[in-house]
Amino acid sequence: MLRFVVRYFRWLAHVPFATSLFDAFLLSWTAIFHPRRLQAIEAMEAAVLQLPGVSPARHRYGGQGFVCAGQEFAHVHGNGLLDVKLTRERAARFVAQGRAAPHHVFGPSAWISFQLHTPADCANAMILLQAGLPEQGS
Amino acid sequence: MLAGNAAGGLACLLAFRLVSLAHDAPAVLIYPSLFLVPFTIGLVAAWVWRPLQLGIGLSLLHSLLCTVVGLLAAYLAFREGVVCLLIVSPILYLGTVAGALAGRVWFRSKNDRINFCLGPLLLLAVAGEPSLRGAHESVVTDEIRIAAPPAKVWPHVLAFPAIREEPRYWLFRVGLPYPVDTTNGGNFVGADRACRFSGGAVFKEKVAELVPEKRLTFDIVEVPRDPELVGHLDAHRGQFELRDNGDGTTTLIGRTWYSLRVRPAVYFDWWTHDIFRAVHLRVMRHIQQLAESGEN
Repeated sequence: MLRFVVRYFRWLAHVPFATSLFDAFLLSWTAIFHPRRLQAIEAMEAAVLQLPGVSPARHRYGGQGFVCAGQEFAHVHGNGLLDVKLTRERAARFVAQGRAAPHHVFGPSAWISFQLHTPADCANAMILLQAGLPEQGS
Repeated sequence: MLAGNAAGGLACLLAFRLVSLAHDAPAVLIYPSLFLVPFTIGLVAAWVWRPLQLGIGLSLLHSLLCTVVGLLAAYLAFREGVVCLLIVSPILYLGTVAGALAGRVWFRSKNDRINFCLGPLLLLAVAGEPSLRGAHESVVTDEIRIAAPPAKVWPHVLAFPAIREEPRYWLFRVGLPYPVDTTNGGNFVGADRACRFSGGAVFKEKVAELVPEKRLTFDIVEVPRDPELVGHLDAHRGQFELRDNGDGTTTLIGRTWYSLRVRPAVYFDWWTHDIFRAVHLRVMRHIQQLAESGEN
């Protein structure tokens, strides 16, 4: 559903609150139909906020963003799709290792996507998030 | 936690009051969107819940409690019927959850200026939305095939004795009034009719069109003051149409025209169609039984 909306309703990002509302719906949907995925999102969110210097933020296209040193380096959408910003080389390496997929919108780029399904996926998500953590004080 | 619920409710009450003043109409006539209102309640509640730093699961649980409190308030303060509350509860919960989850993300970030703008904007949306929407009118049509010619079906369309069969539709079983019998004050345009529902509710009707063995159309002129029926939708007209299939059978078509006051229309239209379909089929199956058994 997220892919469909991103592809055909991208203009909604310019409507105030529309993306937040849509993401809240995605999260509600996940809560009702994919409770294990919801657990995974919650566990991952709690873990990433424990990382030094990381604070929550609104992601522009809806979802929970994570900021460190003033930069958004990752966000998770309501359907459990985690996007992390790395360097192009690191992104390509993680994709080649099968730890992540190319970004769901940009394709091969510095961004990678990883779909959370169960709390067991949190370990891999944390590896990606730690790799994406910007240098603090830079 | 209850403070969040109370704050959300207060915000919406304020919006209703503004709307009712602006429209110079009693508050009971204003029907704000039943998605926008719980969304606002959820959002305001999320703002109050900020210090609790709730996780997603707890936000869902708190929103559920918010919804239950809201339903109880609607039952006690607005005397809403149990079936209405049952129908409205999924969208109420969804709206509250959506508001609470959106607020959870919004109010965690430290952009106070944007957060500050959100309140007035939402109040404006809740207050202004009813004046932006037009009337939503629709018709529900159902048909059944009866193994009898129109001449045998027609008398039972005009009036029929009490339906003894227990209701099958689940909302009828939990208290929604269901049709019991119809009386007829005469077979001419302008004649009074009455359709009696369970619990003593009576819909008064007036014949608007009568073409023997083909069509009976009636205007619904008075609706009973039942909390399950009043205010949310207006059924204005009903019709039975008989089509001779030429093989000794008749297709009986039942129609009801209505206007919906509650929003979002997509959600409530689905329910309205489902309920009217159950009403139509209960009456039409009874007519079918009478016509096929040759009773008079």
